[in-house]
Amino acid sequence: MIFGFDANKARKDFPVLSKDIIYFDNACMSLKPLQVIERINEYYKEYSACAGRSAHKLASRVENEVAKSREELRKIVNAKKQEEIIFTRNTTEGINLVANSIGLRKGDEVIISDKEHNSNLLPWLKLRKNGMIVKICPGNSDGTFNLENFEKLISKKTKIVSVVFTSNVDGVTNPIKGICKIAHDNGSLVLADGAQAVPSHEVDVGGLDVDFLAFSGHKMLGPTGTGVLYGKKKLLEKMDQFIIGGETVTNTNYDSYEMEELPMKFEAGLQDYAGIIGLGEACRYLKRVGLGSIKKQELKLNALISRELLKNEKIRILGPGDAGQRSGIFSFNIKGMNPHNVSKILENSRNILTRSGMHCVHSWFNSRKIGGSVRASMYFYNTEEEAEIFVGEVQKICKAF
Amino acid sequence: MVLCIVALPVFAILGIFSLRYRKLAVESLHCLFRTAIFRPCRSGLDENIKSSITGKVMKYSPKAAGAMYRHYRILSLLFLIVLLLSAYWTAAGVYNYWKYGNCNGPEETGFCMFDPAGENSRISETDVDSITQVVIPKVENGDPLIGNPNAEITIIEFGCYACPFTKKAEPIINEVLEHYKGKVNLQFRTFYIPNHNLSYTSALAANCAMEQGKYLEYHKKLFEMQESMAKDKLFAIADSIGLEQKNFTLCMESNRYRQEIDSDSLAGIHGGVRGTPTFFINSQRIAGPKPFRTFKTIIDSELKK
Repeated sequence: MIFGFDANKARKDFPVLSKDIIYFDNACMSLKPLQVIERINEYYKEYSACAGRSAHKLASRVENEVAKSREELRKIVNAKKQEEIIFTRNTTEGINLVANSIGLRKGDEVIISDKEHNSNLLPWLKLRKNGMIVKICPGNSDGTFNLENFEKLISKKTKIVSVVFTSNVDGVTNPIKGICKIAHDNGSLVLADGAQAVPSHEVDVGGLDVDFLAFSGHKMLGPTGTGVLYGKKKLLEKMDQFIIGGETVTNTNYDSYEMEELPMKFEAGLQDYAGIIGLGEACRYLKRVGLGSIKKQELKLNALISRELLKNEKIRILGPGDAGQRSGIFSFNIKGMNPHNVSKILENSRNILTRSGMHCVHSWFNSRKIGGSVRASMYFYNTEEEAEIFVGEVQKICKAF
Repeated sequence: MVLCIVALPVFAILGIFSLRYRKLAVESLHCLFRTAIFRPCRSGLDENIKSSITGKVMKYSPKAAGAMYRHYRILSLLFLIVLLLSAYWTAAGVYNYWKYGNCNGPEETGFCMFDPAGENSRISETDVDSITQVVIPKVENGDPLIGNPNAEITIIEFGCYACPFTKKAEPIINEVLEHYKGKVNLQFRTFYIPNHNLSYTSALAANCAMEQGKYLEYHKKLFEMQESMAKDKLFAIADSIGLEQKNFTLCMESNRYRQEIDSDSLAGIHGGVRGTPTFFINSQRIAGPKPFRTFKTIIDSELKK
């Protein structure tokens, strides 16, 4: 239990951090606290049964625990109803579900930003073969979203706007509320890719008025292979099913079937109960730490790193110079050096684990002819001491290489 | 590219034992292929190795790591050259050891890692002035031959009856003579080692035994009793093999084979002998008690000529 935020106290809950590493790859995967690991183990050791099918006591316990997790997830994004929370395998599956179920037709338009993860690009590009049109909204040169460009681009044919909430490339958070306002005034829907946003922002789907929000468990202390799609109930009810089979129907005949109600309608086959229960525990943990504290710690570390490293002429960052706009992500290049090499050198010199490359946003890098970047992404359990070591090592590389 | 050439054999060998290295070996191969067609290596293996190594060096000296990073191509080229040279020398060493019982060749007695104690190459050395022109010793008429006198090949051995390494070579030589019975014989010529007890006197005694037609028996007895050799034992051996004592004693006292013994040693010195045992098979010189296969390799090639 954490009373008042202290990164050093929080670190004790993460077994991986007991190794001699500086883990700065949180935008890819967060580490898991013991509480989550123990909840998963508890399921397998004590009640590893089915939910929604059998009626015995173990099955009832699973059903109860899954419902509790759904409630935790409802609360973390401030959704109105539990039925609006659909469990998926990850953000990618959530986006694919929407893309394939909202009934896009020939001539319909989709607007995405120019800095989308492949998971929010490919599901739409694939639908072009059905005659659907994908429009790319160009952003500002500093990586921020350009609402004017968006307003110019949107038309009566725009069925849905699908944009990243917080970018995994540079940490910039897009103005989802403003986007929703413009889109809704135009009669379009909005899907936000919340994979990077939900783990460290206080997201209020009601306040934002976003129609859909997809996010992953593995970036918010939860198990891998877990995710959530939030959708407004009235929209989800109207949508066609995506993957169907066991649990998605109430009754079947050889030539017909009766569809289940929300949320089971979209949760086909046996679910990852242990994962879902673990994800619920992760939400409880995040709540205890406080999403406000998490964001504050990320910004503090990013400000420290940015203040020191932006003085160096050899360093070029992706995104705006103001660290306050880049959440916990510091994405950079060192002049004359391959980002993969920089990342590898950091790992081998001081065990600093970062990510290098195009971070699954190839389209953005390719269009700007940038070969990739080194991405240091911090979370609440990272400390100022770690940030200072990172700064020191990057400066050493700039000087010596 | 340079790194891929180095990495390929290393990972291929390690890949025999581990799946992880097998994958890296395949990456090295792809990388090598890409470089051969003037394309950048897709797997990034070369850059990966480069940055891993420089990262580790940075722990100790950022300056050295930076220099290594900048001059990596040259450094890896030098590394490749060193690797190829050491691979060549290792292969030559293995071949020489297999063929001659010493990594350095049949005539050499230097250190060999496959024979660290130098058992195959140890000789009793003596101070010999360096010679400008080597004269390969020839079979000496009148000196006894062990084995078929009409054999095609004669092994000339320069040995000392007081030398433990010459004794060590005895069973090997006997095996050679047995294996090539009729085709190969041996002429044992004494090579005087001054600091060996009774080196000269025992050579003299062997010559005196030859006078009475019992050279071979006496020769064998001298090696059998090498460890306990003393001057009176030379007479005891003569007695034990039935030599006529008076003539043997007269022969020993007359010192009449001194010139013969000196001439044998001199022939060895001119032939480049630096210690005992040293063997000549035609023009091929073998130093030390080399294994049977060394003699076999050389004899077989000489017989083919």
